Amino acid sequence: MERAIDILFSGLSMGSIYALVALGFVLIFKSTGILNFAQGELCMIGAFVCYYFATKLGIPYILAFLAAIGIGSVTGALIDLLLFRKLVGQPIHSTILVTIGLASILVALSGLIWGHDTYAIQSPFIGKTLVAGGMVFSQASVATIIVSVFLFGFFILFFKRSMLGIALMGTAEDSDTAGLMGINVKKMRMFAWILGAFVASVAGIFLAEQSFVHAGMSHVGIKAMSAAILGGMQSIGGAIIGGIIVGLIESLAASFLTGLEIGGFHFGDVKDVTAFVIMILVLMIRPHGIFGKKEVERV
Amino acid sequence: MGRNFKVSYREDMALLQNQGQKTWLMILVLMLIVVPLFLTRYQLSILNEMSIAIIGALGLNLLIGYTGQLSLAHGAFVAIGAYSSGIITGKLGLPFLVSLPLSGLIAASLGLIIGIPSLRLKGLYLALGTLAFGFVIEYILQHWDFTQGDLGMAIKQISIFNWTIKSQLQYFYLYVSLAFGAVVVTNNLVRSKIGRSFLAIRDRDVAAEAMGISTTKYKVMAFALSAFYAGLAGCLAAHFNRWIVPGSFDISLTISAIAMIIVGGLGTVLGSVLGAILITGIPHIITYFIDVLKGSYPALSGFIVDFKLGIFGLVIIATLLFEPRGLYGIYQRIKVYWKTWPFKY
Repeated sequence: MERAIDILFSGLSMGSIYALVALGFVLIFKSTGILNFAQGELCMIGAFVCYYFATKLGIPYILAFLAAIGIGSVTGALIDLLLFRKLVGQPIHSTILVTIGLASILVALSGLIWGHDTYAIQSPFIGKTLVAGGMVFSQASVATIIVSVFLFGFFILFFKRSMLGIALMGTAEDSDTAGLMGINVKKMRMFAWILGAFVASVAGIFLAEQSFVHAGMSHVGIKAMSAAILGGMQSIGGAIIGGIIVGLIESLAASFLTGLEIGGFHFGDVKDVTAFVIMILVLMIRPHGIFGKKEVERV
Repeated sequence: MGRNFKVSYREDMALLQNQGQKTWLMILVLMLIVVPLFLTRYQLSILNEMSIAIIGALGLNLLIGYTGQLSLAHGAFVAIGAYSSGIITGKLGLPFLVSLPLSGLIAASLGLIIGIPSLRLKGLYLALGTLAFGFVIEYILQHWDFTQGDLGMAIKQISIFNWTIKSQLQYFYLYVSLAFGAVVVTNNLVRSKIGRSFLAIRDRDVAAEAMGISTTKYKVMAFALSAFYAGLAGCLAAHFNRWIVPGSFDISLTISAIAMIIVGGLGTVLGSVLGAILITGIPHIITYFIDVLKGSYPALSGFIVDFKLGIFGLVIIATLLFEPRGLYGIYQRIKVYWKTWPFKY
């Protein structure tokens, strides 16, 4: 029983991070048609900036958190302004390759500024635990889950109820028609990038709370892609559910497979690969995901 | 001056269209034979790396540039080639002449397996699927006793009959002739029915199918061919470095291969060659400059990896934004400029 709760809890806390990152993918993909391979790198930048403000400069944690999210969002706006505004209407492979190039640049920049060591953020949650019903939970994970649930609720309401959210949805649906209806399509695309980078920074900071800050954490972006694919690239609810499913499966696999040995094959670090196996399976069985629409091609 | 018009189909189909091309090719071959005699070991090793990169880049360009299938698994196929050759020559004790084609074929058969699901996937879904495949292969290499995991695997020297390759110069002659052969084969391939079918699928696969081109057959063929080249490159790289670990075939290898074909020019043979030379050269240029500057800024040497990665990223983005046809496009522009000089057209 305790093991089950443990698996469920670690799956949920990791899953909500995947869900946040996947949400960023879907937001950007829906509104701009760009699959952002640099999403994980945006997480990393958010975490590094938060680390820099909170630990290096000693600014109160909550301010450092807000500053990191702010800088992350500005990065998102700059990416749209400098790169993707010029690439509207380009074939999908060239936009994907630009995001791959962008990812290399972000990793290189963070390496040049912060080096390749592993750091810990000075946060109010570090090392603190919460005891409930005889079980011990880390406060950072609890905070991750609470903030993620809050953000999911906020985004679902935002896209259902606010004018801005509806305008963003309209742009995603059909940018030409949205333009004719008086929506500023360029602004909406930029806004999508800002939102995508915003959730990425939040996810990055919480990921750093649960583990550490280092350049390799950008890997979470590629793993979260399998969450986005599982949920369907078009669906915001799908990204959230996909993220949580991937987190749970990963936690299950890590719990049951680690240490097994079959024919000279050692299962270690199963967490590194589970998401990719899920991605391959989804792509083979149902490429448009659980909630996505099947793309119909017309000549 | 030769004739300006072609009077037979034979002439039209010739690989070298005119006397000028033949002359330049002769000069190039002569230079490749003579110049290395005067180069240092370090310079030769750079040229050897370039030859390996050319073979890998040609394969990737067949898939991405000619067929339009965006694959992010090239590094994995290179790894499969390298490990196959390591196992064939090391554990099975077979000669290099057997392991070279065999490692290409093993990679190609895995390419076939990847090619079949690719029939359902397009664009970004294909990119994601191949990316995931690459990570799974890296994981398997790391955790399987057979491949010795992170410990890595020592690779035997190349010996062809009784000739054992030891010096960089010997490597150079073998590798450059293989790269040269790969260029000729690719050049012939892309102007045959296969190459034209690839182009048709890239431009519009539905239309290609309507024209009677079997997209199934040619897409799978493109994957297998590209994996074959990657396998050869992996085999050569393994025997060149004499030591392989899974970490050297990760996603950054795929990214640099993609950088090569983008910078060189998608869908061109010359572009793959130019891109491979440039992208392989960049880290050495960076190392050179850092060595020069180390006296005044000693901290710089810790940043080589970051500079390399950042410059790759910048080069990819700058090419896609400003010159999508890459170095090949620049070459064409210069050629036209001098042909028509001093007139504009």
